[in-house]
Amino acid sequence: MKRKALTAVFMAALLAMGLTACSSGGGSTDSASESDTIRIGCAIPLTGASAQDGQSIQNGAQIAVDQVNEAGGIDGKQVELVVEDDKGDSSEAATVANLLAEDSTISAVVGHFNSSCTLAGAPIYNQAGVVEISPGSSAAAVTDAGDYTFRVITTDAVQGRYLAEWAVNDLGYQNIAVLYENTDYGLGLAQVLEEAMADLGANIVVQEAYEVGATDYSTVLTKVASSEAEAIIIGGLYNETALIAKQRSSFGLENMQIMGVDAIYSDALIELGGDAANGILLTGYFSDASTSQVAQDFIAAYEEAYGEMPATYAAYGYDAALVILDAIQNVGADRAAIQEYLSTLEGLEGATGINSFDENGDVIKDPMRMTIENGEFVVIE
Amino acid sequence: MFTQQLMNGITVGGVYALIALGYTMVYGILKIVNFAHGDVFMMGMFLGMFFTQSLGLHYLIAFPLAAAATAFVGICIERIAYRPIRVADKLAVLISALGVSIFLQNLAMLVWGTETHTFNSGITVQTYRLGSVTLSNIQIGVIVLCCVLMIVLYVVVNKTKIGVAMRATSHSIVSAKLMGINTDRIISFTFGVGSVLACVAGILVGIYYDAVYPTIGYSYGLKAFAAAILGGIGSIPGAMLGGFVIGIVETFGAAYISSGYRDAFAFGILIIVLIFKPSGILGVKHVDKV
Repeated sequence: MKRKALTAVFMAALLAMGLTACSSGGGSTDSASESDTIRIGCAIPLTGASAQDGQSIQNGAQIAVDQVNEAGGIDGKQVELVVEDDKGDSSEAATVANLLAEDSTISAVVGHFNSSCTLAGAPIYNQAGVVEISPGSSAAAVTDAGDYTFRVITTDAVQGRYLAEWAVNDLGYQNIAVLYENTDYGLGLAQVLEEAMADLGANIVVQEAYEVGATDYSTVLTKVASSEAEAIIIGGLYNETALIAKQRSSFGLENMQIMGVDAIYSDALIELGGDAANGILLTGYFSDASTSQVAQDFIAAYEEAYGEMPATYAAYGYDAALVILDAIQNVGADRAAIQEYLSTLEGLEGATGINSFDENGDVIKDPMRMTIENGEFVVIE
Repeated sequence: MFTQQLMNGITVGGVYALIALGYTMVYGILKIVNFAHGDVFMMGMFLGMFFTQSLGLHYLIAFPLAAAATAFVGICIERIAYRPIRVADKLAVLISALGVSIFLQNLAMLVWGTETHTFNSGITVQTYRLGSVTLSNIQIGVIVLCCVLMIVLYVVVNKTKIGVAMRATSHSIVSAKLMGINTDRIISFTFGVGSVLACVAGILVGIYYDAVYPTIGYSYGLKAFAAAILGGIGSIPGAMLGGFVIGIVETFGAAYISSGYRDAFAFGILIIVLIFKPSGILGVKHVDKV
């Protein structure tokens, strides 16, 4: 009983929020193509564990919207970002998805962040025929979530495979050591590398797991030292990578190449790794060292607006909004037309690379190649 | 590779042994498990970092200061969290210990943040190659310090007046009190010594791996606790032996079977030993009189 009452109160509150959102948008309940503003949903976690990433996404998306508005809007109409908090919780995400899908003035949605939330919202958006573009869900399951579900972030598999090709085809390594963290993430990446290496005809001579937060890597590094390995590929995060880089010299591996995906891209890698971090090769989609003009313009605009450097997810939020705005500029604010346009979108340059979508709505883009020189990330041309 | 892995195992084992001594001494005297001990080890690391890095002191001055400060932390823990409920159920002390553990972790996060820091002690790690085996000055330091501290501890407990008092308190607090021993002071002393050893272990780990973070005490504390049980809790040589056994077993398990099950080997050996010898390798079997 009590729970029902609570739900009722909660629903009423949500309804009220929805109404105020409508009225602030000019009180118009006309369909998207007829009103005098263009409204884009932004469903992200603003409270809970992922709140910081959600805030970054909102800030990034707002930059894209501001840029369009400053240039006179689209067909004379101003664009408005309608922000909803999904709390990083899948049932909350479904509520938010319903709210946005039922509001016919919403043309498309930037969101959600957590893969579980994107998947929870997917049936609702797909049934209502409104595009959702996730700026942060990299889980494999999102691929099959429906025609209206897109994302501007690649799966872990894409980067893992790219890294393997870089190591084998371009750098000529034939014997690889894979060290991965003992989590779903690390294990998934290790499997991708294993398949990629098999396809490329290279050997994985050492494949060892370590615990997240481990300090001692002597056991695994001893195994690497006594193997034929020419390079270490890390399937994990920056803290552990820094420690591996630092400890490798104790085992005569100071010249052993270390490679990783963008999960190791963090200033902490340099701070913690010190000199040992120099020369590490990594892939990534967004960096303040990026040579792309779009990325540099975004960074400048973001710094001016918020007084801080954009985090990676801010750039993904920017790109998700950019893709939607590009669609509206080309085919108008109609929901179905946006979906049709995006399903064949190719070569739109954003802050995280050049975006194209495959038939499943997954983004296809090559990551940048980066290294660390004298304690700074540098993009390899 | 075998000899190298053995050296790796002995090094981590030595660290476990130093922390295990704190568990075993406190258990020996009070028959309680000080679950906050892993976090005392963590505080030792951070205090070592604080005195060298933040205050810029030379390590010869900074490390003794850190050890003294950690001893103070240990003594305070006993005073505040254990002494008032010493007569209560043992379960109450256990909960109190877990509370202290959470408190210390959060205190460290509040003061130093959640990120991983470098240790920067001013001591550089030097490696020596002996054939196919590489050894560093810190590895040698861990092993030598372990042996020296164990001998010192053995002499203190068995040959000095305070050692006699410790053993008496361990035997029976009530009788020791009746014999005129200030048992509260003996208990404080025990916590202080255990904390100093944890600080030494923390500083060694800090120098060797050059990384400190607030939750680092959890896995080290758990392994060291397993080492104390394995060796026979309450026994000082047992804690040392248990530390080395756990360190070597987990290293060899990870090296020759699967590195993904590293922790499983450490706790697996504990279970196996306890099945055959429930009091631990060097533990003494107590007969409870009803």
